[in-house]
Amino acid sequence: MNDQDIRLRLTDIGKSFGPVRALDGVDMVVKRGAVHGLLGENGAGKSTMLNILSGVLTPSSGHVEVDGTLVVGHGPLAARRAGIAMIHQELQHVPELTVAQNMFLGRPLTTGGVFVARRMQERAAAEALAPLDPTIDPSVPIRTLKVAQRQIVEIARAMMEDARVLAMDEPTSSLTPAEFERLAVLIADLANKGVSIIYVSHKMDEVFRVCDTATILRDGRNVTDVIMSETSESAVIARMVGRELATAHHKSFARTDVVLEVTGLSRGTAVKDANLKLHRGEVLGISGLVGAGRTELLRLIAGVDKPDAGEIRLEGRPLLLGNPRTAIASGLGLLPEERKREGIVARRSVRSNIALPSMRRFSRFGFVRRKAVVDESQALMRDLNLRPLSIERPIGQFSGGNQQKAIIGRWIAAGAQILLFDEPTRGIDVGAKAEIYALIEKLAGEGRSMIVVSSELPEILRVADRVLVMREGRIAGVLERDSLSEESIVALAVPQSSPLASSVSRS
Amino acid sequence: MSTPNSTAVSTSQNKFALPVGLRDAGTLLGLVVIVVVFSLLSPNFLTQQNILNILQQSSINACVALGMTLVIIAGGIDLSVGPTAAIAAVVVAVLMAAGVPIAIAIPLALIVGMTAGAFNGVLVAYGGLQPFIVTLGTLSLYRAIALIYTGGNPIFGIPPEFRALTNSSIFGVPSPVLIIAILALVVWVVLNKTPLGEYFLAVGGNQEASRIAGVPVSLTKIASYVISGGLASVAGLILVGRLGAADPTLGNLWELDAIAAAAIGGASLMGGKGSIVGTLLGAIILGSLRNGLTLMNVQAFYQLLATGIIILVAMLIDRATRGQE
Repeated sequence: MNDQDIRLRLTDIGKSFGPVRALDGVDMVVKRGAVHGLLGENGAGKSTMLNILSGVLTPSSGHVEVDGTLVVGHGPLAARRAGIAMIHQELQHVPELTVAQNMFLGRPLTTGGVFVARRMQERAAAEALAPLDPTIDPSVPIRTLKVAQRQIVEIARAMMEDARVLAMDEPTSSLTPAEFERLAVLIADLANKGVSIIYVSHKMDEVFRVCDTATILRDGRNVTDVIMSETSESAVIARMVGRELATAHHKSFARTDVVLEVTGLSRGTAVKDANLKLHRGEVLGISGLVGAGRTELLRLIAGVDKPDAGEIRLEGRPLLLGNPRTAIASGLGLLPEERKREGIVARRSVRSNIALPSMRRFSRFGFVRRKAVVDESQALMRDLNLRPLSIERPIGQFSGGNQQKAIIGRWIAAGAQILLFDEPTRGIDVGAKAEIYALIEKLAGEGRSMIVVSSELPEILRVADRVLVMREGRIAGVLERDSLSEESIVALAVPQSSPLASSVSRS
Repeated sequence: MSTPNSTAVSTSQNKFALPVGLRDAGTLLGLVVIVVVFSLLSPNFLTQQNILNILQQSSINACVALGMTLVIIAGGIDLSVGPTAAIAAVVVAVLMAAGVPIAIAIPLALIVGMTAGAFNGVLVAYGGLQPFIVTLGTLSLYRAIALIYTGGNPIFGIPPEFRALTNSSIFGVPSPVLIIAILALVVWVVLNKTPLGEYFLAVGGNQEASRIAGVPVSLTKIASYVISGGLASVAGLILVGRLGAADPTLGNLWELDAIAAAAIGGASLMGGKGSIVGTLLGAIILGSLRNGLTLMNVQAFYQLLATGIIILVAMLIDRATRGQE
């Protein structure tokens, strides 16, 4: 590789957190105008690398060079000055401020160094946004924008600061397939202009779609660098996890008796007249674009939100709506997409998180029977293969996959017969994903029924016996296993009136 | 479920016991440092009589702080503890002055205090208001009720039997200290051994996740304020017994001392974290500091200064040691 072509060079990067070595002598080189993937399982060190790159963390050893110049000084400001910009997975904006104000946050344009020049900022913001998405109005509060648009705002801001390296952390975690396509085009455009892009994602199909090259990390060390056109998804995954993953095939345990029947369930414009039946042992997938009302439907069934109209029957008996406690008592359990915000109490132990809905069963004479809780949680977590198997550790210290196992354990302990999964593997790495799928299958085999909402089509195809596709709050159709394919799902999910490409960030 | 592996269980329990105890050990160390410093500066500090004095002087704040700790753990704050105590004090004094037997007057006064707490809790849980604002409002409201009802005048004529309850000693230990010790034990059991305690920690740690997990979030919050109102009332009654009068202005700024004790003891104002043992130690730290400085004839202004410094230093140490985890 010609030295002149090298945009970013990380040499011998090491980082320790106390006794834990998160990174150990990692090297990475990215060429000018290249889209470079940074791949690895959770805990492989990707986040630490990104944090070092963006100046959030100071490396214990090694250094970062941009265009042959050493990045000196610490902190995000030094990185930004060196031309490194970061698009975070969870976009960080001040919701009430306008698009332009957010873009100039921390370094406003001023008149005479005193007053913020709002007009000037808006004009500059519009200029930066024009090549990316001219429909975004810089003067509206950023909270009125969709996630995909906010991401574009972030990219525009980076471009405005003449970023030479743009690091993107799981940029598509809340984008629809169509929005991803648009982002992919945008990334290619930026690369053509000479910007080097570092792309972190768990989704292999995306990585292969957008990246030219990639660095694979495992346990904080370089495994190898790959050129995407010369390798395959399975080869990359094998290098990431250090072993071949068995690609399992779908097994159905669905029986004929209906355990859950939803009729005419509606809430505002989010969910309109939803009807569905769930059979014992069945895994019902719900697919659709982000914002199609999938999460909302799940929350209505779980009693977390109250519907305006409709009825839910569990084995024929009507369920009191809008009350999580009665829903749980009737055998329902919700596993929310945003585990950190809605799933776990991070500071509490795995044991406490498991026992939370089952306090009544676990207590006698008003006291918690601690031994019973410990014994049962321990047995459950051994069954579900919690790693490490220490149920007294705060759940927040576990990886996403293990947190999900604990929440599954919570509902098993609570006697749930119907589990409602919302994006069951969001933010979970490849190895743990397969485990979660196997667990879903196992639970189905035990006669439990499940609804699985997922944006990942391969995931839906892997786990679901039947798929219900939602579109704009309505159930657009139901696909039986034999008519299930990515194409048939997408055909139902995308609004018929508008072509795929323009359905993107316009609502 | 299958049978558990007993060895794995016991090791994991040990792991759990360590970090919780560690924070309390830190608070204890802080107390030891303060005690050592004062005993070097003043020969009268580390005497049996003075230690009992410190405990007695700390007991009222400790009592209020116990309830405050639960409220803070559950993600709230209770600024109205002082006026709640004043209302309970006025109620007990008025009832006893009217000839109501002590055994009835005390529970009634406590029920009134707990009702004041319940009112806070209902406004927070069902009114959707922020705890700080709700209890800032009732801080004024409850004080006004106490002042209006009494016309601002203290109520005298506290029966000697009532005063004896708080002025006696058992085996040399002043009764207020014993009362608080028993209450602290009860609150500790509630926090650590009952579903309610589990709910306090869960709701304060993550309210939305708790709701989805089926925790009765509203009732949990209300319960924390009811307990806080009740404990504040106990503190009010103890003070009435000590002073022999119920002053409607009693309990001024108690909320700040209680929050300070809880925070020094390791409670997080973000909720979800706190320790009963830590809060007790925090109250004793504050009590020792005031006692020691008084013994050394330091002006009250400087006592205030020292209190402020202790709170800030405690929090900085807390923050720094947590960063290393």
